[in-house]
Amino acid sequence: MKVIFKIWRQENTNTKGNFQSYEVDELTEDMSFLEALDHLNEVLVTKNEKTIAYEYDCREGICGQCGVFINGRAHGPHDNMTTCQLHMRSFRDGETIVVEPWRASAFPIVKDLVVDRSSFDNIIEQGAYISAKTGTAPEANSILVRKEIVDKAMDAAACIGCGACVATCKNSSAALFTSAKINHLNSLPQGKQEASKRVLEMTKQMELEGFGSCTFTGACEVECPEGISIINIAEMNARRTKAKWIG
Amino acid sequence: MYFRKSIIAITGLFLCLFLIVHLSANSILVLPQEVARGLYNSYSTTLRESPFIKIVAYILYLSIVLHVIYALVVTVNNRKAKRKGYAVNRFRENSSWTSQNMGLLGITVLLFIVVHLANFWARIKLGLGEGVGLDSEGHVDVYKVTYSLFQNSYYVLFYSLLMIPLGLHLYHGLKSAFMTLGFYHKKGLRILAKVSLIYAGIMALGFGIIPIIVFFK
Ligand code: HEM
Ligand code: SF4
Ligand code: FES
Repeated sequence: MKVIFKIWRQENTNTKGNFQSYEVDELTEDMSFLEALDHLNEVLVTKNEKTIAYEYDCREGICGQCGVFINGRAHGPHDNMTTCQLHMRSFRDGETIVVEPWRASAFPIVKDLVVDRSSFDNIIEQGAYISAKTGTAPEANSILVRKEIVDKAMDAAACIGCGACVATCKNSSAALFTSAKINHLNSLPQGKQEASKRVLEMTKQMELEGFGSCTFTGACEVECPEGISIINIAEMNARRTKAKWIG
Repeated sequence: MYFRKSIIAITGLFLCLFLIVHLSANSILVLPQEVARGLYNSYSTTLRESPFIKIVAYILYLSIVLHVIYALVVTVNNRKAKRKGYAVNRFRENSSWTSQNMGLLGITVLLFIVVHLANFWARIKLGLGEGVGLDSEGHVDVYKVTYSLFQNSYYVLFYSLLMIPLGLHLYHGLKSAFMTLGFYHKKGLRILAKVSLIYAGIMALGFGIIPIIVFFK
């Protein structure tokens, strides 16, 4: 299988980048997308050219490192999938595949396809944790939580912080990510004590980091590898209003 | 960002409410000439003379102004959050064109509102341009203003066609406003999506067809 990769190359945050095309041969349909990029880098090494910088860690859809924009979609052509789960069989032989870094003012480009997602960490630091010392895991039945609430909290907790929601959003809004973190903790008894503070401070930080506001286009929930629903954003809005006016 | 978006949502919902009343009143226009004229003019006179409606009218003007100003501020701010876009972006595969273009649709609606106010409000309320006569009962003949405007096919086309962007703006706007204001009931949102579609459809079709009916009367 042969494809033409058209990849965004940029030396560092302050330089201007541009696209470069690479014809890559000797691929198979069973290769993952990242393996195809690995292969391209090996070829570049043998030619003594600069390799392409891109991020990954787990390669099994759980770490959230591998985000890139592929042919106009976050994480490639499929819904709800990470880049590392994407395979070359999703492309045609001879196809040109355009690969771009996440685009958001709050995610400055570090190099080529790698962006700095520290703005997510800064939001997390404003309260996506509980500050009580919990010791070792307590007996499971000592704090009872209704099944529907556990399910909802777990669904929100699935967020892997990949940034696809921000990348695909026309406003680069971090509302899906932030709402997932807030609803995860604020739904559970352990998170209740700091619930108001959490929602106010995390949403404030989200604004300070330069993310846009939510227009409910719904693009984020389609690209989110964890299928986190935009209803979370509406719920975050309700929690924020309650925290602000009632406490 | 929360304050701004809440203002857009609250003023937007108020405008949505206003449109229902406005369309109900305008449906008088499709009645036979003699009935429509008397009814429309007396209704319009009653409105103009009511102190309560005066207050509502000011809230309405304020809503339009606030909605537009904050919508522009939010849109500019959102652009700043994404300084550079993608070379290839297949956003149609993950979201509707309408939801991606609320600003553009809004500007089109604004264009409509400006022309619409110049056609009616400026003549009737401000007394600008050609004077407006009285009907046989001594009411200001608003019906005639409407009727004569819609004898001009360009105006009919303008009024009818621009109801398409209005309908689209309302379809996404109504759903979005509820979510902005924190409505997160799952089943309720499914119903809301249908209600938004029906509401936007009735508004676009209703307002859009009246000029055509008046033209052929
Ligand atoms: C009859 C007139 C109008 C009605 C009933 C209306 C209604 C609405 C509603 C209900 C929303 C949803 C608010 C939200 O998402 O929180 C909205 C959003 C919006 N409106 Fe309007 N609108 C009208 C006119 C306009 C005009 C004249 C503009 C001109 C600039 C405009 C620009 C916008 C924009 C940009 C948004 C989206 C804001 C965002 O990014 O989320 N609208 N509108
Ligand atoms: S909400 Fe989904 S798309 Fe956004 S960071 Fe979390 S996992 Fe990624
Ligand atoms: S490399 Fe970990 S999610 Fe893709």
